Amino acid sequence: MTVPAQRTGDESAVGPAVPAGPSDEQSSVRSRAVVGRSDGQVAAMSLRGLVKHFDTKLAVSGVSLDVPAGSFYGLLGPNGAGKTTTLSMAVGLLRPDAGQAVLLGHDVWSDPAAAKARLGVLPDGARLFDRLTGPELLAYHGLLRGMDAATVDQRARELLDVLELGTGNRTLVVDYSAGMKKKIGLACALLHAPRLLVLDEPFEAVDPVSAALIRDILQRYVAGGGTVVFSSHVLEVVERLCDHIAIMSDGVLRMYGPLPAVRGERSLEEVFVQVVGGRTATGSELAWL
Amino acid sequence: MALTGPAGPAWPFVRLKLRLIANGLRGRPARIALFVGGVLFAGLYAVLGYALLAIPGVLDNERAAGIVLPLAGSALVLAWLFLPLIFFGVDESLDPARFALLPLRRRTLITGLFAAALVGLPALSTLVATAGMVDTAARLGGIGAALTELAGIIAGLLLCVALSRAVTSAFATGLRSRRSRDLAVILLAVLASLLGPLQLALLAGAERADTDAVAAVATVLGWTPAGAPYAVGLDVVAGRFWAVPLRLAIVLAAVGGLLWWWSATLERSMLGAASSARGGAAQAAGDPVDSLLFRRLPRTPFGALVARETRYWMRENRRRAALITFAAAGVFLPVSLTATGSDSAGTGGLAGLIGAIAAIALANQFGFDGSAYATNVTAGVRGRVEVQSRATAHAIYVLPVLVLIAVVSSVVGGRPAMIAGQLGLLVAAYGVGLALVLPLSVRAAYALPESTSPFALSSGGGTAKGLLTMAVLIGAAIVTVPLQLIAFGLDDVWLWIGLPAGVAYGAAAYLIGSGVAGDMLDRRMPEVLAAVTPGR
Repeated sequence: MTVPAQRTGDESAVGPAVPAGPSDEQSSVRSRAVVGRSDGQVAAMSLRGLVKHFDTKLAVSGVSLDVPAGSFYGLLGPNGAGKTTTLSMAVGLLRPDAGQAVLLGHDVWSDPAAAKARLGVLPDGARLFDRLTGPELLAYHGLLRGMDAATVDQRARELLDVLELGTGNRTLVVDYSAGMKKKIGLACALLHAPRLLVLDEPFEAVDPVSAALIRDILQRYVAGGGTVVFSSHVLEVVERLCDHIAIMSDGVLRMYGPLPAVRGERSLEEVFVQVVGGRTATGSELAWL
Repeated sequence: MALTGPAGPAWPFVRLKLRLIANGLRGRPARIALFVGGVLFAGLYAVLGYALLAIPGVLDNERAAGIVLPLAGSALVLAWLFLPLIFFGVDESLDPARFALLPLRRRTLITGLFAAALVGLPALSTLVATAGMVDTAARLGGIGAALTELAGIIAGLLLCVALSRAVTSAFATGLRSRRSRDLAVILLAVLASLLGPLQLALLAGAERADTDAVAAVATVLGWTPAGAPYAVGLDVVAGRFWAVPLRLAIVLAAVGGLLWWWSATLERSMLGAASSARGGAAQAAGDPVDSLLFRRLPRTPFGALVARETRYWMRENRRRAALITFAAAGVFLPVSLTATGSDSAGTGGLAGLIGAIAAIALANQFGFDGSAYATNVTAGVRGRVEVQSRATAHAIYVLPVLVLIAVVSSVVGGRPAMIAGQLGLLVAAYGVGLALVLPLSVRAAYALPESTSPFALSSGGGTAKGLLTMAVLIGAAIVTVPLQLIAFGLDDVWLWIGLPAGVAYGAAAYLIGSGVAGDMLDRRMPEVLAAVTPGR
């Protein structure tokens, strides 16, 4: 597929952050990224010019992105970069002011039923009906998706078992720990075997053991042909898991493509800080610390 | 006032409150409209109150003033006690828990929160309304009486605000555990339902021109904290100067006591969030689907939605509070009405109102879900299924209560034959109420604050939100009027056709309303989600 190169504004925004030399290399990253995607597959997620204003604030300004099917895509950005807003618009939770979101060939906003049937979402924060027990919540999700009861039972048990949430656990989800909440959320997103998984901050506030488990499951899911898109501001996780990344800040996609191409010779952290334009504290200020 | 302390430490709280109100309105035309509506309503209430309370002065009737002022004042204090709990919710925009980490002395905190609570439409309009008493005092006793009465109404306002704050805070703290919460809500509902007969008794007394009895009540009330602040002006008029400091002392002592109580409960409510760790006891592992659904529910999205909703009505504080309040008030109100000897037409009208009140609980049904509603949006639940499943779950709780109300009120009224007809009216009113409320719940959904208090229903523009509910009540009353007229006109025949006719009327209204709401929801799902997501 051909993809319009990044939108105006990127150039100027990236420009100062990237050292003078690699600016050619930078554009080659982009073109390689484009080539990488044009292998005839239908993109799992394809966003075109998504824009969202909140009141007077421009939260996301014209994000266009293609996620190849079967990729493990990490969306990176500092807090308030517009990651959650972008993903919410992509999965049909937030109506964009402009732009288009196509999931596995189905437009989320004109053909929501088809798009949502193939999609699993782990929303940010406490967006679960948390006054149900874990098994109840899974059953609710399954039946809501129109699955038959026997399949729901079987898969829910398996998920509860694998994620170590306990099949007979009568604790309400609201009383779960943060890690358990993420795991039950993930189980809900996986229950109907979607082809595309969109996860908002799946590793936030998760202990290392649970994180490792979630990583394993996601890797197996991608190996089986699924596509994962997730947002994070934890660079290590993204670097370890993803084959593609996109970096966002201030509502604009600064950079995207396959991980090795984006990273180049440098560390991801270096690239990230430069692209986002963060500052590092020097000696003179905060001297009183 | 000495009790509010020096202006210094309180001022930042007041500024914070004003800033919160202003920021809540910034760039949101809908909220501004609601706010303006609230201002208009408050203004209307203030002007009406002023006019009513000034009447005794205009008539130059000292005796009438002696009755009206303490009675009206006491009613006002009661309103301040109950309205926040039942109708409008507590304004939690200055949530005490947010100050927990700041190095504030408790005295400063209480002073500040109290001062901030005094800033707002309800307090302002109450002050203006009670200024009518100053008017009366001025006409009867000149400037001295007016100034004394002014001090009185200010003390009265302090009492009102301190009372409502202290009681809601105490409830919120005391309601940590589920059992005490349920008990308290029932108690409250019973108390609230006792207001009705009290009012009726007063009215009956007035009708019989038994002013002596009413005057006696007024005199007694005048020496309670509720009536005392409003009676001081008349003391000056009557030359009972010794009574003025006494009454003011009673009020100020009450305010002081309430503030002390408030600060005690506040301390507790600031310590640790309400983590009511519930039933971790592992039961025998049934199938997940069976654990969610009751036996009879279909294994479909509709069944799952109904099951989830029925659970939520029991498991979520705010919903349970709404349900229990309705159940208790719904049974007690008509009973107390019939017990005080009102005629059947009155109870019929009340039946209509009660049916509609039941539906009000769904007026912000998506707000109860908060951001969890995202689950249903991503699952792509169809609008009609969503709306109808929610109404079904609510009806599972409400219909038995309606039957109970019909039975109890008819039996207590001595006309058991009325049961079926009464139930018909109740169901019809419930259906009509749903028909009005369901589209409203889609159109005017709003986010509830993430608070532990079951009474926290609104942040900021609570008055305006309450107005919408009132509008629904009035609308439902109007729509059920034809049916009530028929019921009244047919009388004996209604005993037979009442139930089927009422059910048909209610069902028809419900089907229209739920259809409209469902189609509207299909178009507005993300907008509803955005509206009910807190903090945006």
